[in-house]
Amino acid sequence: MKWPAGGLVMLGAVLVQVTWASRIEVAGAFPNIVLLAVIALTWTAGIRTGLVWACAGGLMLDLTAPGPLGPHALALLAGTYLTGFWARNLDRRNFLYPAVAAGVSTVAYSLVLVAADRMLGLPVPSMALAFQLIIAAAAYNALLMPLALLPLRRRHAFTRPEPQAQ
Amino acid sequence: MLVLAVVTQQSWASGARGAAKAALAPLEQGMMLVASGFDRVTSAVGDISMLRSDNRRLEAENQALRRQVAELSAAGQDNVALRGALDFQRSFGHRTVAAQVIGRGPDGFSRTLEIDRGSADGLRVGMIVAGGGGLVGRVRETGPHAAIVQTLADPQSRVNVFLSKSGLQGTVVGGADSLQVQIEHRLGAVASNGEWALTSGVGGGYPRGLVVGQVASVSHRDSSTTDQALVVWSNDPASISLVLVITDFMPA
Repeated sequence: MKWPAGGLVMLGAVLVQVTWASRIEVAGAFPNIVLLAVIALTWTAGIRTGLVWACAGGLMLDLTAPGPLGPHALALLAGTYLTGFWARNLDRRNFLYPAVAAGVSTVAYSLVLVAADRMLGLPVPSMALAFQLIIAAAAYNALLMPLALLPLRRRHAFTRPEPQAQ
Repeated sequence: MLVLAVVTQQSWASGARGAAKAALAPLEQGMMLVASGFDRVTSAVGDISMLRSDNRRLEAENQALRRQVAELSAAGQDNVALRGALDFQRSFGHRTVAAQVIGRGPDGFSRTLEIDRGSADGLRVGMIVAGGGGLVGRVRETGPHAAIVQTLADPQSRVNVFLSKSGLQGTVVGGADSLQVQIEHRLGAVASNGEWALTSGVGGGYPRGLVVGQVASVSHRDSSTTDQALVVWSNDPASISLVLVITDFMPA
């Protein structure tokens, strides 16, 4: 994906995340639009593209969150890396795999975010509450993942070969 | 990323960090306007818009009136509290700055709001934020023209309160779904459903008399030194769009 288009997608995802997403809260969790966008990019365009936009999107999220810059970017990188590993080894045309990958990546993203916040001395919820929120968010994101993937698949030829790992 | 986080966490970097965060604020404000417009357009179908508008207005009035009732029963300031549902300054005698909510926290772990006022408007970290329904939270970070507010729903939030009828004291703890309050036992007094929880001022963290919410259920255990209760927050964090920052009270 080209830089301006990718930047606009990420910026749009971040803005939707911090303005609209919390309106559709279920069980204390709301969808992570940026994570979904990054996973969709990783699934369609490959892990390198996904990691680049995870870094950019994460830093934008950090600009809207309390605390220092970095924790959301780090968490998104972890989730993206997991998705990339998954995408490389499974059939990318199947819609079930990205949904499961979204759920698993949400768990990784959330755990890294909580761990980073704890390490930096930022406030974090109790473990019980954190797990409740993580599970709800993972289920939510997994359900929404196919919807996020559809427009990108239309635009991007998902049959394009994945760049070779070095 | 961790190095970046550690560097930007330093106090000497707070100015640059605040300025960087404020850069996104105008876009968020624009997006909020788009979101509001979208809400209006979608609700216009079948004249729902008008009904919802009326419903919201009545709900807001109802909320404000309930807040006033709680204030009256707690403080006995009959005429003062009835003078205006949203005239916070007159009701509480504090100087306030009105701010619009332009964004919300990006994840469910920290329940925060972003507002369109910052240090240039006199806001400082620690200042108390209230809404039409009562206490909202406190300012956690400030940029020149934007600030991040930690709401009561944030799991790390703690507020000392007293109950309007029984007078029992307790501590409200934030939570994703509802606020929990640990109520101290006292001979001859029992907490009951429907009581209002108001800030007690104990500890100096919040001014006394701000409405936090209404007790929805109480669970009593003889073996414990405290009762547990659930409090329905008087502000709805999902729909709150305007807040008042109390600028003449700083936590002790």
